[in-house]
Amino acid sequence: MSGAKEKKRAKKMRNQPASVILPAEPGPFPGGGSRACPIPGDVLSEHQYQQQKFLNQSSGPSYRKDQYFPKGQNRGERGRGRGGWQGGCQSISEEMPRYITVSTFAQARAAEINAMLKAVSQKSSNSMVFQTLPRHMRRRAMSHNVKRLPRRLQEIAKKEAEKAVHQKKEQSKTKCRKARRRHINLVAEFNRRQRKNIWLETHIWHAKRFHMVKKWGYCLGNSPTEKCYRACYRAMTKHCLLQDLSYYCCLELTGKENELLKQLAQICSIDTGLTFGEAGCLSGRFEGSVNLYRADRYPEDMLGPVTFIWKPRDGSENRQLWIWMHPALKQGILGELKTIFQCSEPEETCIPEPATTSVQEEKQMDVVLSIGKKRKKEDKEGGKAVPVKKIIGDGTRDPFQSYTWISQTTGVVISDRSMEILRYRLIGPLSHSVLTETLKAASLQTEMADSETGLNNWWVENCKNSEKVSLHQCQSAIFELLEGLSSPSQLPPGAILGLTVGDPRVNMPKKKTKAMPDFEKYRDNDKVRQLYLEGVPVECAHSFIWDQDICKNVTENKISEQDLNHMRAQLLVPGSHLDLGPCESKIPILLVQQPGKMTGEDRPGWGSGWDIYLPKGWGMAFWIPFIYRGVRVGGLQEALKHSEYQRTPHTPNDFPDCQAGKQFAKELETSLLEKFKRRPPAKRPNYVKLGTLSPFIIPWGQLTKNWEERMKASGEFVHPSSPHTEHCAIKGHSFYDPKAENMKEASPVTGEVEETMEITSSEGALKTEDVTGTQDVGERDETTARSDFVVLRSEKVLMQLSAWCYPTAGKDRRIRLVSRLGQKEMTEDVFLPILMSYPRALVWVNLSLLRKGSPELHAMICIPTEDDLLHLSKDKLFCGPQEPKHRDIFKHKVQKLKEEKKKKKDNIKALEGDPPSVPEETAERHEDLILGLWSDTLPDVTSHCSRTLLGYVTRGDFSLAAGCGEALGFVSVTGLQKTNLRMCAGGTERCSL
Amino acid sequence: VPDAALRCRYVLCEVVSEDPRCRQCIEDRAVGLAVRDAIGRVHGDFGLACCSISFTVKYLNAYTGTVLLRCRKDSYRLLCSALPFVRQLESRNQRYPCFLNTLHVGGTIRTCQKFLIEYNRRQLLMLLQSCTNEEERRCVQKSLLSCSLTEEQCLSGNEDDDDDGTDTD
Repeated sequence: MSGAKEKKRAKKMRNQPASVILPAEPGPFPGGGSRACPIPGDVLSEHQYQQQKFLNQSSGPSYRKDQYFPKGQNRGERGRGRGGWQGGCQSISEEMPRYITVSTFAQARAAEINAMLKAVSQKSSNSMVFQTLPRHMRRRAMSHNVKRLPRRLQEIAKKEAEKAVHQKKEQSKTKCRKARRRHINLVAEFNRRQRKNIWLETHIWHAKRFHMVKKWGYCLGNSPTEKCYRACYRAMTKHCLLQDLSYYCCLELTGKENELLKQLAQICSIDTGLTFGEAGCLSGRFEGSVNLYRADRYPEDMLGPVTFIWKPRDGSENRQLWIWMHPALKQGILGELKTIFQCSEPEETCIPEPATTSVQEEKQMDVVLSIGKKRKKEDKEGGKAVPVKKIIGDGTRDPFQSYTWISQTTGVVISDRSMEILRYRLIGPLSHSVLTETLKAASLQTEMADSETGLNNWWVENCKNSEKVSLHQCQSAIFELLEGLSSPSQLPPGAILGLTVGDPRVNMPKKKTKAMPDFEKYRDNDKVRQLYLEGVPVECAHSFIWDQDICKNVTENKISEQDLNHMRAQLLVPGSHLDLGPCESKIPILLVQQPGKMTGEDRPGWGSGWDIYLPKGWGMAFWIPFIYRGVRVGGLQEALKHSEYQRTPHTPNDFPDCQAGKQFAKELETSLLEKFKRRPPAKRPNYVKLGTLSPFIIPWGQLTKNWEERMKASGEFVHPSSPHTEHCAIKGHSFYDPKAENMKEASPVTGEVEETMEITSSEGALKTEDVTGTQDVGERDETTARSDFVVLRSEKVLMQLSAWCYPTAGKDRRIRLVSRLGQKEMTEDVFLPILMSYPRALVWVNLSLLRKGSPELHAMICIPTEDDLLHLSKDKLFCGPQEPKHRDIFKHKVQKLKEEKKKKKDNIKALEGDPPSVPEETAERHEDLILGLWSDTLPDVTSHCSRTLLGYVTRGDFSLAAGCGEALGFVSVTGLQKTNLRMCAGGTERCSL
Repeated sequence: VPDAALRCRYVLCEVVSEDPRCRQCIEDRAVGLAVRDAIGRVHGDFGLACCSISFTVKYLNAYTGTVLLRCRKDSYRLLCSALPFVRQLESRNQRYPCFLNTLHVGGTIRTCQKFLIEYNRRQLLMLLQSCTNEEERRCVQKSLLSCSLTEEQCLSGNEDDDDDGTDTD
């Protein structure tokens, strides 16, 4: 039966009472197939005719459907072969009865009546019963009240109303809005909602303005709902962008300095630059950053990048060290720290009393657990049972789970202080203006405001000590000097300033203002000059925020927003400045300068700013005053862009060798693949044809392996095609280490270095990813089982590489540069040891495009051919070579599979006569092969395309800061050096998208 | 309610034949052809064309000989007047004499179905009255009872009926 005919018939039959068919089949014979009753063998001969006919008819499964309608019946019989039918008939006709019995006659009639009854009682249309009534019989509110219908229809209407679709939405069990919004219920609800993903203190503020994502166990703002891509960039460049980084985790290490340094040396390498023992950082004057590796496994087993702050020496032999890290890295690093300090057992006795909130929480939990009373009742028990606001701190942490570990041998204490310290980041040249305008140094106070609450008692005590008073005055003097700076980047990178400030809510402006620096005041001040020449003195780095007791005290004694507003309302002159006097809270904070862009030649200091560390509970109290100073708030996306423009690696995107980075890549792959599959198959790019082997995940392992193989295959080393490598053309190399200023960029003026991008309508912008099931598995095995690639982070080698790659106008300049940096000229001798020690290394590079175009995620970085370079120098509009079309070697496989599926489907259809279930079928196909995705194990990735592949882009976009397309990616070190040696006509990097 | 222009008439008739083998021939093609043939003979080409618009056999039951025909409302008189002239059904080279007995003319399938229910019921009652022996009477009674109940009960009743029926057979 052809599909069209089938469809037509189905359409014709749609509104027919289906039961009409019944009589034809079971009608004549009481043992009808419809009831699936086996026909007993002892049938009388008179019935044999009917029986046989019946059996004959019901042979095929699809028969019944055909039988439903007379036409179908005919067709069905014909289709099944006439011979069988006729033969049956002839043989039967001989035994044909000459008369009919009463019983069959009666039964046939009875069956027909039944069928008809069924047909009649069924409503044939799609409408509700009351809609089928003629107009004059309709009554108001018939659908509401069944009894308004004529009695004969009431049954049917009742049945209809009971159907789920028509049923009213079930009354939600929640209370009315007023009850839900009652504070106590609201807090309970909030606590319930953040059980899985922790909320930051600014969560509700963010949730109203941001697209929220659940990541790393937190609810974070991804990007604002308003249009702000450029506005955020402007804020970063010209004013101030604020970010809540409180989700970063802080591990606190306390112990003797020697012990700490000795053990910590295992997990970082002097090779990668600074370590925990760096003098400036050790004194507590600067914040340091370091890459951690598993103990003594460098350069493999990367744990991730962290920043750290030492508490300034205060006389006692124990030092405190904060290690701040991204939450995705926390588990790995915490585990490693516990191992190296040999404190696997949680130390129960020395748990510092958790913040009151969690204590109360505990109590409450106890109540719930032991008594098991109804919550409502419990609520009424009194103030104690009121659900505690979990928004403060990490309320989701199991109160019984310890988060402090002590080492028996060394006495080092590791404690997890995540969510105990808040961290905001202000980015932009005016961030210190915002700070100075918002924060006012705390006033000295010598008498207690309220001896009972203990409000500010630490501060009063502190003010009795004249030394500390002078320190505070020194700190506040320096803080005020900040106003005279034109940019935070003028301070030495990572400078730390401790401070104690008053309640920022007191001096909020009435309207949102824009904080601007007042240069008049400090223009010629020597002190300012001194500040940025010498930085913040060591003493000033001290802050009370290091003291947990003080932090706790400050958190507990915060005046609530409600009380503050109440006091404001009681002011004699409405709107005048509220002076809290001795009741004003004093909050210890820590300001840390963020250096911004330190590599490369353009835009030095771009994106610099301040990090501010606060005790928990004060989040919104500082947040809103900042907002009132005209800052713009960014989310995760803005942070990503910031690091992209600043050319710094972003955690975890740019760390493919650490666990978090792998996890991130996997998640990205899944989401991209999902997105790909959501498109209709005809609208999907065919990545096989485009020459992209794995558009959704980057096969780093494969890449490095292939390069290693290439190396081996081509003899010990490649012979440089020409001994004079006149130009080496790698556009930009930005390396990790901020101190080594080895970010090289080809200035477009020289025109030698070029990145060309292939942008074609068919290929451009479409490449993303593709992985099929089998490949996926292979890939995963590769990455997890053995990390077969490392990312080169050795400072020395990076310096060397970047010197070689440095674009020059002539040979001389590079030689000069090389000699200046104390590097060796590029020769095979120098290469070999590097290659030997890092056979499978990747290096992080920055690429900028010479001409049009912007690179995309997972774009391929290739070595240009000489023709490309020639073409480039001649043609000003040349945007790069285009990848020729590849043949889709999987296409026939996919098609074959499709056909098979179709056949199977047809068979099924012929057998059952059911409409084929399309989604199932497509889903099945997806499991096996997806058109347009490479489904085998990957071939040699380096030689798959027309140009040799060097590496991949991990992040790429048009850079608003640089004014051209820019990308950050990784290339194989081996490939890079080979390129350097071979390039003669001016290197180019081709970015084939 | 369909458009007035498209309104149809449904003619419910019964195939009556002396020969029980005629029931083999009751299939929609054969019936359709026979009716068309009769119309052609009686009313000529014009009449045939008129009746052929949307003419179909909507339903038939070979075992009771019930046939439901559809045609346009404009031409149903032509059809009805030609029905008595159907003399035989032909199918697979077999030909059996028979005639069509018009039972009902209705405007919708549903009315025809309702009529058919009543009609069959009447038939069964008549059968019951004219029963000659006890067994037959019992059979007919069973059949009669089986179809006068509500739907679900109908089904279960039928099942009983089936069992009984086979037993008696």
